[in-house]
This record gives sequence, structure tokens and C-alpha cells, in this order.
Amino acid sequence: MSIRRSLALLASAALLNVAMTSSGQAQLGGFGLGNVLGHAKTAKNASGALRAIGEPEEIKMGGELAALLLGAAPLAKDPARQHYVNRLGQWLAMHSERPNLPWKFGVVDSDDVNAFSTPGGYVLVSRGLLDQMRNESELAGVLAHEIAHVVCKHHLKALQKSMGMSALTDVGSTVASSQGGLAGAVGSKLLEGGRELFLKGLDKGDEYQADRMGVIIAARAGYSPYGLVGVLQTFSAAPTDGGFALLTKTHPTPTSRIEALDKAMGERLDTLPGLVDDLPTFVQLRQPAPVAAPVTASAQPVAKPKTKKK
Amino acid sequence: MLLSAAPVYAAERGSVIRAGDLKAKPYIDAATSAKLTANQQVDIVSRQGAWVQVQAGGTTGWVRMLNLRMAEASGKPTARQASLLRTGSSGKTVTTGIKGVNEEDIKNATVNYAELQRLGTLAVPPAEASANAQQSGLKESKVAYLNKEDGK
Repeated sequence: MSIRRSLALLASAALLNVAMTSSGQAQLGGFGLGNVLGHAKTAKNASGALRAIGEPEEIKMGGELAALLLGAAPLAKDPARQHYVNRLGQWLAMHSERPNLPWKFGVVDSDDVNAFSTPGGYVLVSRGLLDQMRNESELAGVLAHEIAHVVCKHHLKALQKSMGMSALTDVGSTVASSQGGLAGAVGSKLLEGGRELFLKGLDKGDEYQADRMGVIIAARAGYSPYGLVGVLQTFSAAPTDGGFALLTKTHPTPTSRIEALDKAMGERLDTLPGLVDDLPTFVQLRQPAPVAAPVTASAQPVAKPKTKKK
Repeated sequence: MLLSAAPVYAAERGSVIRAGDLKAKPYIDAATSAKLTANQQVDIVSRQGAWVQVQAGGTTGWVRMLNLRMAEASGKPTARQASLLRTGSSGKTVTTGIKGVNEEDIKNATVNYAELQRLGTLAVPPAEASANAQQSGLKESKVAYLNKEDGK
């Protein structure tokens, strides 16, 4: 173990050197400014290429695409969970690089297991996905992954690629001048582009990036970064068809995502202080164990509000 | 069963990727309870931060989550899946399954602006999110994003 530890230290020291020489930025305990700037630059590049689309247009386009998803499955009629997901999601988004977007989170009424985001701060998770969560840090990981897609404008980037930049800026300018919903040819162009994107998925590299950012956004907000890893482990053991079919089709395999997170995280986030796995707020939203197991219901740890701290 | 530690996750199985130590506690410096070989099968008991409590060859201990791969599902839902977050304030079981977010549903979807408007009413102001987080005892940290190979 000690050999492995020292190897890891050596490796991170080497990495630190590279980071310092290439960016000239001082690093602080490995979590330095250079790293932040690197990612900020990525986001800036994206917005540079897409600068014809301003934030109000981005939000409006995202609203159209969210309306399409809500046409597939409406919001669950469950005010308590809707409020809970918005409170958690807003808190996480405040630890991203775009805290001031009008973030909106929703639980859609579907047994299928999936989560979506659209430009401008719309995040939708399915009821089926909530059912898969072991604790609040897992849900935080999922929401933070979606927030990262929005922060990096991954959807706009993909739409630009599939529709062409001029078509996308056309949509942007039409959106800017329109009131209410987007009617006509331009509107349907955007919707068909979005529909194709939801069915095909984002760039695989963007998914890995959203995973790497998601664990950090969760940690910044006080949650264990391992929540997302736990979710990916659940997915890796789940069937790839049925309610998991579209999720499977549109993402890299859960195992390859875990392997990528392993490479990026190693042990370096293990010593962050005071991170939370679960909170009573999440536990409260669980209902009593099903009728099938009435005897063991009281012994179920899931009913215990625990705020385990590392 | 009634008095036992109620292994809710007992149906979950996995294997360790790398040979290493089964730790007595969920810390890197904790005592070693047993040695694990690569690909050794384990039963998952619980999770805590970076660590997963497992049963391996009759010994219970902790392994790092990133050293675990899950076995594929047997087809039956785990006890956990069966018990968590039954939705529906009405308490009635959802059986219709007419709507969903699977491939066909999205192919056939048309925009629903009424629901979009409803979504807009759900947003929580930052001040409320902050107050709630503070009340929950969540501790913020300053952490920079990770590069692909930072953990190596």
C-alpha cells in the first residue's frame, strides 16, 4: 500500500510540474488556479464559437427543447419532490461557473431512467432515475453532471455541429425577436435538431467532461464526490434495455465512465473535509418500505436519517 | 433477519479490480482485515464516502469504491430498488406507462408549453437554497476541476 501511495504521490508531483511549466500558474495542493483557468478557457472557447447566441437566446432555445421533453413526459404531480430537487439543484448550480442562470429543475413522470439538460439552465430527471438513488450525494452527482453540460454549452456545440453554425444563429436571431413559442420553419428546425440530439446523445468526450466536473461541483457544494460513482455503479449492474435503453444508447458505458473517473480522481478527493453522503431531506422523501416486506420495514437502514460525515 | 444488520444492499454483488487490503474501517490508514485478490467476488453491505463496506470470504470490511466493479443484475430488482422512493402523492401505483422518456416517446413528442410554464414556477431562489444548505450543515469547499489523468 505504501508503495502504491508513494507512486501516486510521485505521479501527482510530476503532473504538478507539467501543469506549472505549461501554464506558469502556481498550484496550491494540486487544486490550483491553472486548473480552473484551463476549464474556464474551454468554456470561453465554446462561447467564442457560439458568441452569436446570447444568453437570453440560449435560455429561450433551451426552453423550447425542455418543452419538447415535457411533451414526452409531463412533470410529476409531486410538489414536495419538485421543490426538493429545485433546492438541491439551485445550490449545486451556485457552485458552477454560471450561478446566475435562471436554473429550473423538474422531475418528469416516467419510469424510464434518465436525466436531461437543455441550454440556459433546464434540468429534468425522471421519477425512474430518482428511484435508483441511494442517497442525496448520488442525486447531487447526477444533477451536477447535467449542470456541467449547461455550463459548457455542450448542447449548443452539438447543435452547431449537426445543424451548421448559420442555421443555429438563424434560430438564435429568430428566437431573439419572437414572443412566446417558436413557430414556423426555424422553430421546427431547432426542435428536430434537439430531438435528434436527445436520441443520439452528446459527444462522448463531453459526457466524460461532465462527469469530471460533476464530481467537483458536488464536492464544492458539500456532497461526497463519490455519489456520481455510486450511480454509475448502479447503472453498470442494471439491464441495458427497458427503462435504461435510451440512457445506455446515448452515453459511454457506465464502466468506462467509472474507469475515466478513477483516472481523474484517484485518491485526491478522499481527504476533503466534512462531505456529506446523505441528508434527512432525502430520507424524508422515501416512503415506508413496500407491503411485501412489512416485518423488516422498521429495520431498514434507508428509513434512518443519517448524515454520515467522512 | 429481523435483528441482523438488515443488509438492504445484500443483493448487490461486485468484484475488486486490483488486489489489495480489506480495511477494518473506511480510511486509507485503517488496519487490514484481510487481503483481497484481483477479481475477488464480494457482497456489498453499505457505502460511505469513497468507501464501500463489503463481505469477502466471510470477513466484513471496507474497500475503495473505485476499486469495485458491480456484477451485472440478475434480472430481479434489488431490495433497494424495490423499496426506494415510491412516487405519487396519491399513493397509487403507476401502471399505465403511456408517457415516458424512452426513444419512442421522444420521437413522437410535441412541445408542451403548459408544462414548461409549470416548470418555471418551480425554481427556487438562491437565497432559499443557501439558507437550506446552511441549515443542513453542508460545508462548501473550494475545489478545482480535474484533468483526465489527475488521479494517476
